[in-house]
Amino acid sequence: MTYQWDFTPVVANAPLLAEGLANTLKITGVSLGCGLVLGLAFALMRLSHRRWLSLPAGFVIEVFRTTPPLVQLFWMFFALPLIVGIEMTPFLAAVVTFSIQSGAFFAEVFRAGIQSIERGQWDGARAIGMTHAQAMRRIVLPQAIKRMIPAFLERSIELMKTTTLVATIAYADLLFQANEIAQKTFRPLETFTVVALIYFVVIFAVSILARQLERRLAVSGESTVH
Amino acid sequence: MKWDFASVFDNTDALLAGAAGTLRIFAICLVCGLSLGLVIGLGRYAHNKWLYWPATAFVEFFRNTPVLVQILWFYFALPILLPFTISPLAAAALGISLNSAAFSAEIYRGGIQSIDRGQWDGARAIGMGWGQAMRRIVLPQAIRRMLPALTNRAIEIFKMSTLASAVAYVELLQQGKLIASLNFNPIEAYTAVAVIFFVFLWPLVQFTYMLERRLGRGE
Repeated sequence: MTYQWDFTPVVANAPLLAEGLANTLKITGVSLGCGLVLGLAFALMRLSHRRWLSLPAGFVIEVFRTTPPLVQLFWMFFALPLIVGIEMTPFLAAVVTFSIQSGAFFAEVFRAGIQSIERGQWDGARAIGMTHAQAMRRIVLPQAIKRMIPAFLERSIELMKTTTLVATIAYADLLFQANEIAQKTFRPLETFTVVALIYFVVIFAVSILARQLERRLAVSGESTVH
Repeated sequence: MKWDFASVFDNTDALLAGAAGTLRIFAICLVCGLSLGLVIGLGRYAHNKWLYWPATAFVEFFRNTPVLVQILWFYFALPILLPFTISPLAAAALGISLNSAAFSAEIYRGGIQSIDRGQWDGARAIGMGWGQAMRRIVLPQAIRRMLPALTNRAIEIFKMSTLASAVAYVELLQQGKLIASLNFNPIEAYTAVAVIFFVFLWPLVQFTYMLERRLGRGE
């Protein structure tokens, strides 16, 4: 059996794919930004000596790390709007889910990074009169963040792959558009192959950048913390 | 808003069927993914370029594309090239297994590379072939070091199994969807599914933490 490959229907729908890719990048970018802020907040709460801060942060981190992202997404999309009584869009559900989820993972990266900074840096900062917050902001975090960069990049790549889940709640990301085009043109083989390649090219490019950065950081003496 | 889990408990049978489906696909992907991963990991470690390059291409491709895209490709695209159709279980298991093989291949490679050169030399000195040295000396030591990373992979596979619901395979999340749409109780249905996953995975996660801590002390 020989199958006649025909990519013209896919090429004709290139604008739809471009729109899908833009939406994928939008969700990734917004979730990444919110996730980093949340992650830092979770990490600082978890490292806190006050139990009313560290316990809830630990709970959120554990729950979002140990349940499947698709279950979280469905819960946010179908259950949460009924509880809080708001109108939920696929975009909002996706951003909320992926921000908290990546925040939970980023929190552990931040925590490991902060804990990897030697005690002496804290003592030195205190000795010249800095408060805990000042020492964290000016001395510890800047050094820790440099060590955390490879782990952050790896997590960002995971996040981009996870965003494909929004296709299941009908947000027009790249995968959802592929499904639409495949059904419309009866060319699932060509469509899904092209879309898999688009994902590969984008994610592989980021991976290579991440690896190069990691190598340069390793040369400068700051190895990966993970 | 009143929570009422009675409508979920009435559907315990459906959830049990879902749990069985989840465990089934988890077991298949765990075995296929981790054993194929070992073969590919050895290929990545080989000096022979006919083994090295295909293994490397496989790892890069499957690590850098989303699993859901792979599952949909196997479900909707692959059957066009084949004379038979592909079941939801087969499509999902293929996607998740190949993805896990690519990730675990890197774990095996890293583990094998971490074993001291002297272990190889010693094994060779007492007359072992490459295969024997790998099987009897290097792998047993490497596996111990890789254990936390491999259990982490198992946890990821368990979580990925939910993606099978996208091709309507009967697993926990799919059954949750069904219960929610029949009883109009998405809050309770999805909360129950989330709790079940948490209960399954929490001990595994704690076990991995324990392994990591122990290994950190031992080495």
